Amino acid sequence: MDSRFAIKDRKALLRPGVYVGLAVIVALLPLLFSSPYVLHILILTFIYTIAAVSFRTIVISGQFPLAHAAFMGLGAYLSAMGAKWLGMSPWLTVPLSALVTASIGMLIGYPFSRLRALYYAMGSLFFGIGIIQVIYAGGSWTGGYSGLTGIPALLPGIGSKVPYYYFFLGLALVSIVALYRIEFSRIGTNLKAISQSHVVASSVGISEGGYRILAVGVGCFFVGLAGAGYAHYNMVLSCSSFNFMATLWLVMYVLIGGVNSFGGPIVGTIILIIIPEYFRDLKMYSPFVTAVILGIVVYLMPQGLVGLPRLVRSKLTERRKIKKVSHAS
Amino acid sequence: MLLEINGLTKYFGGLAAVRDFNMHIDDGELLGLIGPNGAGKTTIFNLITSIYKPTRGKIIFDGNDITGKKSHEIARLGIGRTFQLNPLFSDFTVLQNVSTSFHLHPKSSLLDIYFNTAKYRRNEAYILEQSREILKMVGLDKVENELAKNLPHGYQKMLGIARALAVKPKLLILDEPIAGMNPSEIDFTLDATKKMQQQKITILLVEHNMKILDLCERVVVIDFGQKIAEGLPKDVRENKDVIRAYFGGERVA
Repeated sequence: MDSRFAIKDRKALLRPGVYVGLAVIVALLPLLFSSPYVLHILILTFIYTIAAVSFRTIVISGQFPLAHAAFMGLGAYLSAMGAKWLGMSPWLTVPLSALVTASIGMLIGYPFSRLRALYYAMGSLFFGIGIIQVIYAGGSWTGGYSGLTGIPALLPGIGSKVPYYYFFLGLALVSIVALYRIEFSRIGTNLKAISQSHVVASSVGISEGGYRILAVGVGCFFVGLAGAGYAHYNMVLSCSSFNFMATLWLVMYVLIGGVNSFGGPIVGTIILIIIPEYFRDLKMYSPFVTAVILGIVVYLMPQGLVGLPRLVRSKLTERRKIKKVSHAS
Repeated sequence: MLLEINGLTKYFGGLAAVRDFNMHIDDGELLGLIGPNGAGKTTIFNLITSIYKPTRGKIIFDGNDITGKKSHEIARLGIGRTFQLNPLFSDFTVLQNVSTSFHLHPKSSLLDIYFNTAKYRRNEAYILEQSREILKMVGLDKVENELAKNLPHGYQKMLGIARALAVKPKLLILDEPIAGMNPSEIDFTLDATKKMQQQKITILLVEHNMKILDLCERVVVIDFGQKIAEGLPKDVRENKDVIRAYFGGERVA
């Protein structure tokens, strides 16, 4: 492999193998758990994994968007309304609304590409709140405060969740592979270069604005896709699923899983969606517990949960070396 | 004439950092720009590379008016630069720093990159080879897999030059390339500069150190944002205005 990522070659070869193995295991899960409730949680995990991974694509370009769940809602409502009011097939409205979400994201990304750090975060936060307010104000078109009901289903056969399970597993895999290829190509390198120093990046000819807008477009496309798919699975939409709090949960998935590695958001989403389900009776404490977990992760695992195996390995070799040294002396 | 600056003026609030500054650089020339601290040298660099937009004046590069263009467009036209405080892609390896800087030569389209076409792979292989060549030239080939932030200061400065060379510049702008270097690193940089000179790369450099200025074919001296002298290094050193600017008042020897 003659790429300039030569140093990472071994890892790059290993990773897809591990992922394929995991995907096979996940594909067999419905044989073990037939309860609709378990399948529902797993489907949500797939949907939010797409959202979290696409969130991180924007983050690696040095932008910290706090409107990501709002864009998910935008994709969901656009697709739902297209199918419900215009009578279009969900198979058409899902990709279309993802495209529209991406376009709106890029349109907003243009003026926002001048903002940095806290200013970008706050700007996007308020824009996201604005999107949700507009949906609330949509009256009977969007269902307003009471929510949108009667959204056409994506797959035939109401009742079984198994088809949806495979649909969203496939959607998540395709999205993850698509975003992985962006990150580990020159495009991803340019995004990371801009985030490290936009002055240096533009001094070697990388257009800061162009790449920042591109990252937002890609991130919004996939989160719009996830939201649109969700709309036709759930068949009922409520604005509160996409509010500020939902964005903050996405941020938590990414931070706890590990913002510095591609797998971080995936691990974070799986753990933060599935584990709290076991303690559902304690749900009101979950923000508090999550905050504590974040603290622990940052203290003990600077790379996030995804860095845990590597951390354990390096601690073990360290210990072995210390033993050797003490034996020798 | 490769670069021509006419009546360049930059105000920061009420303060004129650069005032009615004129300068030109010929093809293949090594031009030094000197002046006391705060004279406006770095401001001129940042105006040429459009980190700042000028209040007035014109900058013509290679026949194009580049006044107020975006930084990445200026790189595209063929101006490479280093920075005084030397920011790098600090979480990238040395090799990645240079290969990333090969953004323009050769340029792959987004679609080629995304679909990993034969053209993109060919480009990347070529870039890798070229990056290693540049690293060899500046003597960093042995540390190509180190993270840039872990390098000693002198190496980081050389990496800055390597990165600027990856732009394949017609004009290379070096902002205090040997400041903070130890003597052996200075010698090394001087050698590298001579090599670039032989390769007919036009270089504009800011420096206080006379060792490197003696390589220059011409030196422009500025003070308070205005040109006060111009000429051969040895002539400039004896110029009265220059001595006054550096030592404050006339020196009676």
